[in-house]
Amino acid sequence: MNSTILALTLRQLLGKRRALFMIAIAALPVLVAVIFRLADAEMTPQRWTAEHLFKGLIVTIVLPLTTLVFGTTALGMEIEDGTIVYLLAKPLRRFDVILSKFTAAWLPAAALLALSTIVSTIIALGNDNSSILIGFTIAIVLGSLVYCCIFLALSVFTNHALIAGLIYVFLWEGVVTGLFTGTRYISVRQYTLGVADLIAETSRRTFRADIDGAPALVLMAIVGVAALVLAVRRLSRFEIRTNV
Amino acid sequence: MTVELQPPPATAESATPAIRLEGVSHWYGNVVAVNKISFSVGPGITGLLGPNGAGKSTILHMIAGFLKPSSGSVEVLGSPAWQNQEMYHRIGLVPEREAVYPFLTGYEFVLLSAQLHKLPNAQEAARRAIRLVDMEQAQERRTGGYSKGMKQRMKLAAALVHDPPLLLLDEPFNGADPSQRLRMMALLREMAAAGRTIVFSSHILEEVERLSDNVLVIVAGRLAASGDFHAIRRLMTDHPHTFTLRSSDDRRLGAALIAEPSVVGVELMDSWLSVRTADFGAFTLAAPRVAHGSGITIFEILPADRSLESVFSYLVKR
Repeated sequence: MNSTILALTLRQLLGKRRALFMIAIAALPVLVAVIFRLADAEMTPQRWTAEHLFKGLIVTIVLPLTTLVFGTTALGMEIEDGTIVYLLAKPLRRFDVILSKFTAAWLPAAALLALSTIVSTIIALGNDNSSILIGFTIAIVLGSLVYCCIFLALSVFTNHALIAGLIYVFLWEGVVTGLFTGTRYISVRQYTLGVADLIAETSRRTFRADIDGAPALVLMAIVGVAALVLAVRRLSRFEIRTNV
Repeated sequence: MTVELQPPPATAESATPAIRLEGVSHWYGNVVAVNKISFSVGPGITGLLGPNGAGKSTILHMIAGFLKPSSGSVEVLGSPAWQNQEMYHRIGLVPEREAVYPFLTGYEFVLLSAQLHKLPNAQEAARRAIRLVDMEQAQERRTGGYSKGMKQRMKLAAALVHDPPLLLLDEPFNGADPSQRLRMMALLREMAAAGRTIVFSSHILEEVERLSDNVLVIVAGRLAASGDFHAIRRLMTDHPHTFTLRSSDDRRLGAALIAEPSVVGVELMDSWLSVRTADFGAFTLAAPRVAHGSGITIFEILPADRSLESVFSYLVKR
C-alpha cells in the first residue's frame, strides 16, 4: 500500500460537496429511526429494525449508494480527468495503486455506514439486544468492503462505472435475484444479510437471510479478492488513449 | 535563469539510443494513428513536429508506456516500454492534458511526484524542481487557480523532480506566454547541454526551430522527414508558395515581380495580385525591394497557403 496515494485519494473523495452529500445519505436511516420511535408503530422494534431499517433501507439503498460513490470515484475520477497519468508514470506496482485506492474508498464508506447503522439501530431498538447491533454493524462493514472492491474494479474497466453499478444494484440485486433464487449467490446484498443473520441473535420470525452465514462469508472473500485481482490486471494493461 | 543541473549518470547503455522505435504502428479500431514508424533518439533535444492529429501524442504515449504498439517494438533506455514500470525511475513526463489536482498547491503537486518516486529528501527535491521552473512565488497557491502556462511549468517541475535522464513533453508550450516559453526553452536547452535526452511534440514550426537539434516530422501517422532541422526547413521553404498582395499599383508591381528569379507566376485579380514563388525566403526579401524601386506602396502581403498542413503535405509528396 502507498500512503501518498491513500492520502491524496482521501483528499479527493472528501471534498466539501461530496462529503456533505454522503453524510446526508448516511443520516437517512437515523432520521427514519427517529420517526419510528416517535410514531405509534404496530411492529416490535426488533422486527422493524431488521426488516425495514436494516434490510429495507440500509442494506438495500444506503450501503450500495455510499460504496458506489466512493468506489467508482476513487480511481474513476482520475481516469476521467486524465490525472491518472501522474500515478501511472511513476515506478509503482499496480497492485499498490489498486490497494491504496481501495483502502481510500472503503475507509470513509465503512466509517459512515457503521456510524449510521449503530446510531439508527440504537435509536430504533433502545438499549436491548446488543447482538443485533454487533451483527448488523459487522455485516455492513464487510458488505461495504466487497461493494467497494467491485465498484473500484468496474471503474478500471469502464468509463460508465456509475451506471453499471446502478444497474447491478437496482436491476440485478433488486429485481433479478428476487425472480430467480439461484442468482442470490451473485449478490453482495444477500451476502451482507447472510452475515448479519449469522452474527445477530434473532428469531427466524424476526429476520432470516436467504443465504447462510458461512457460505456468505466465503463468497464475500472470493468476490472481493477476485474483483481486486481483476482490477490490478486491468490497470497493468491500462492504455491512455489520445485524441485521433 | 540559474539552474542546478547535474549531468545524468553514465551507464553501460550510453552507447545505445535512449529511444528506439522499430516498425511501430498503432491503430484505434479501423483508424491507423501511427503507421510503420522507425527512428532512434539520442541525447539532445528532438522535436516531434506535425499538424494536430498527425500521431505525435500516440507516439509519445507509446514511448511513455501508456499505449501498446499494435505492431513493432518501442524500446526506452534499452528496455521495452510497454508494462515496464521500472523505467519511470529514469523518465520525466509532461502530458498534454491540462488536468492537475486542483485542490493541491503547486508545491504539494510537485511534492506528490517526489514522494511517489520515493525520493530520500522529497521536500528538498520539490523545492529544487520548483526553483528550476521559476515558480517559487506561486507554489503555495492551489493549482486549480493557475493559468494554463503556470500549470505547464508546474507539470514540468513535477516531471523534473527526480532528475531523469530522459524527458518526454507533449505540447509543453501550449498556453505559455512568450516569456514563459522562452524560460522553459532556456531550461530545456541547459538540460540537453547537460547530456539529457529530451523529446517534445509541437505543431508549431517556430517552437521546433528554436529548440530542436533534431526533428522528426510526422504527417498522417507516418514519418515524413527526420534529421537536422535546417535541412528540413530548406525542404519546407523550397515548396512553392502563393502570396496575395495589395499595393498602390498591382499591375505595375506584377510586371516588376515577374522579372525576379524567385517568382514563377503572377496573376492579376480584381483587387489584388496573386504571386507564386519557388523560394519563400528570397521572395520575402525581393518583394519590398522591387516595390520600393518602382515607387509602389505595398499595403498588404499575405502568404495564401502557408499553413503547416500544406507544407507537411508537400513534404510527404517528396
